[in-house]
Amino acid sequence: MKRTSNILIAAALVSGALLSACGKNNRKPGSHYMPDMFESRAYEFYSERLSTMKPVEGTVKRGELLPYHLKAADTALANAVKNPLILTKADLEEGKRLFNIYCGICHGTKADGNGPLYNDGKGPYVAAPANLASGAKASYTEGRLFHVMTYGFNAMGSYASQLDREQRWKIAAYVRSIQNGGANASSVLASDSTKAAPAATAATAPAAQDSTAKH
Amino acid sequence: MYRRVSILMRKHFVSVLVLCVALIASLSVRAADPAKGKALFQQNCASCHNVHKKVTGPALKGVEERWSDKKLLHQWIHNSGSVIAAGDPYAVNLFNEYGKQAMPGFPSFSDADIDDILGYIEAESKVDVTTKGDGPTGTKGGDEDGGNNSLLFGIITLILAVVALILMQINSNLNKLAADKDGLAVSEPVPFYKNKAYIALTILILFVVGGYLTINGAIGLGRQKDYMPEQPIFYSHKVHAGINQINCLYCHAGAEKSKHAMIPSENICMNCHKTITDYNGPALFTAEGKKVNGSAEIQKLFDAVGFDKESKTYTRPGKPIEWTKIHNLPDHVYFNHSQHVVAGKQQCQTCHGAITEMDEVHQFAELSMGWCVNCHRTTKVQFADNKYYSIFEQFHQQVKEGKIDSVTVEMVGGTECQKCHY
Repeated sequence: MKRTSNILIAAALVSGALLSACGKNNRKPGSHYMPDMFESRAYEFYSERLSTMKPVEGTVKRGELLPYHLKAADTALANAVKNPLILTKADLEEGKRLFNIYCGICHGTKADGNGPLYNDGKGPYVAAPANLASGAKASYTEGRLFHVMTYGFNAMGSYASQLDREQRWKIAAYVRSIQNGGANASSVLASDSTKAAPAATAATAPAAQDSTAKH
Repeated sequence: MYRRVSILMRKHFVSVLVLCVALIASLSVRAADPAKGKALFQQNCASCHNVHKKVTGPALKGVEERWSDKKLLHQWIHNSGSVIAAGDPYAVNLFNEYGKQAMPGFPSFSDADIDDILGYIEAESKVDVTTKGDGPTGTKGGDEDGGNNSLLFGIITLILAVVALILMQINSNLNKLAADKDGLAVSEPVPFYKNKAYIALTILILFVVGGYLTINGAIGLGRQKDYMPEQPIFYSHKVHAGINQINCLYCHAGAEKSKHAMIPSENICMNCHKTITDYNGPALFTAEGKKVNGSAEIQKLFDAVGFDKESKTYTRPGKPIEWTKIHNLPDHVYFNHSQHVVAGKQQCQTCHGAITEMDEVHQFAELSMGWCVNCHRTTKVQFADNKYYSIFEQFHQQVKEGKIDSVTVEMVGGTECQKCHY
C-alpha cells in the first residue's frame, strides 16, 4: 500500500508540473528558437527606427511637393500663398477623408468647431476648437489654412509630422470649399482654373458642388 | 358693477402692460443670465479660455476678484490694448506673463453681454471639476472564472480516478474472497502497477499527451499571441480610440504611407495633451485589476517631453518614451502596412482585433504563416476601381465575361513564397 501512495504522489507532482507549464504569462513575449534567424544581422533598410526619423535637412523625397519656406510668424505672407496642386474631384474627396480623420476629431466633420473631443464643452478638450465653417476663420485663404496646419495656431499643434505637404493642401482646398456654406468655393476653383488644363477645370467644378451639397 | 370694472381695466390696460414690461426688462438687465453667457462664452472666449484651466489665456475662475475695477475689466474685453496703453499695472503684468500676445478686442459686446459671460463664469466656478465624471468602473475580475473552472475540473478528475482505483481494488478483493469461498485455487493477484496492461496503457497515454504538448510548445516558439507587455505609460486605446473616437490613422499616420504603422512621436500626443492635462473619464484598471491614476499617467508624458502643465511651456529638452513593441515579425518576413491598408483596403481591426475595447493592447492575431496564408486564400481583393490591380488584364476580362465572380489574394500571387520571403 505504501508503494501505491508513493506512485500517486509522483503522478500528482508530474501533472502539477505539466499544468504550470501550460499556464502562460502573457506579460512576457515567450521564447524563441534561434533568435539570430528572427532578428537577422542583415541591414533592414525599411526598419521602424529609420521610417520614424525626420528626413535629412534640405532633402526632398521623390515625387514630393517642394518645401514650404515661410516661418511661423509670416502669417501675412501665408495669406497670399496659392495652392500649387491642380485639384480633381477625387482630390477634394481625399481632402474630405483626411479632414475627417485628422481635423474632424476637434473641428467636427461639419467644420463647425464641435468635434467629439469638445462636444459642446462636455468632451475632454477644454478649449473650444475654431469654427471653420463660418465666422472669422471662414475667410482664411487656402494658404493661411496650410500655414496653420504646418505650424499650429494657439492651442492647436503642428500637423506636419502626420500629413505631408500634398495632403495638407488637399485638406486646405476641401476646407475652403465648404466654408461659408460653400459660398467661396467658386473663388478657389477660379484660381485653380488659371493654372489647370480645361479638362481638369471641368472635373473640379462638379466636385465642389458635390462636396458642398452634402453639408 | 362688473361692467364698470371691465371699462376701468380697458382704460388702464396699456399702462399696466407697459408697467409689466418695464418691470420684467429691469429685472433681466440687473440679473446676469448664465445660460446666455454660456452661449456667448463658447462662441467667443472658449477657444482661448477655460474657467478652471489655463489654455492660451488664463483660467477665468475668480476673474472679477482679480480686477480692481469692474469698469476696467469691461474696457479690457472691449479693447485690451487701450488698458495696457493706459498703464494699468495688473493689465501690463498679464500682457507680459502671456508672451506679449494681446487678447483680441470684442467691441461688439454690450455691457449686458459681458455681465452674462461673467455670470456664467461665476456659476461654472462653483462646479467642482474633480467630481466631474467618475464614471462606471471598468472591467474587473471576470477572467478569473476560467482558471478556477479548469482547476475544479482537474480536482474532480483526480478524485474520480482515485475512487475508480479503490473500486477496482475492492472488486479484485471480492473476487478473491468469492474464489476462496468456492475453494478454487487462485494465483496471487498481480498489483496494478506491475500489471503489464496498465503499464502499457500508461506509457501510451504519456506518449500521446507528452507528444502533443511538446509539438504544440515547439510550434509556439517565437509566436506571441496574447502578448500584453506592461508599457511605460498606461496608454488606454479604449479611452482614445473607443470613448473619444480618435481615428487609428490620427496617431498611426504611417499605416497609409509606410511599411510601418509607426508608434506616434510625442508631438502627436501633445496636439491634445497640451490642453488635456487631467483624466476625467471612467476608472481605469490594469489587467491584474490594479487601479490606474489617469492624471498621473498623463504626467508621465509631460515628464518625458519636458512640458510644464502650469505654465504651458516646454521647460526641458524631451526624451523618447520607450514603448514595448507588441507585434513582432521575424526579419525574414516582409510585411507592409500601406499595401494592406491602401491597396488591400483592410480595416485595422481585421488583424489587430477590437482595439477600441482594449485598455492594454494585446496581440490579437497569431501572426503565424498559416494565419497569413489562410487569409490570403479566402480574402477577395477589391478588384474594380483599384488602380493597383489594373495590370491583371486577364482576370479583368474573366470577371467581365462572368467566368469568375471574384479574385482572391492567392490568384494575384498572394501565396507565392517570394511575395513575403526574399
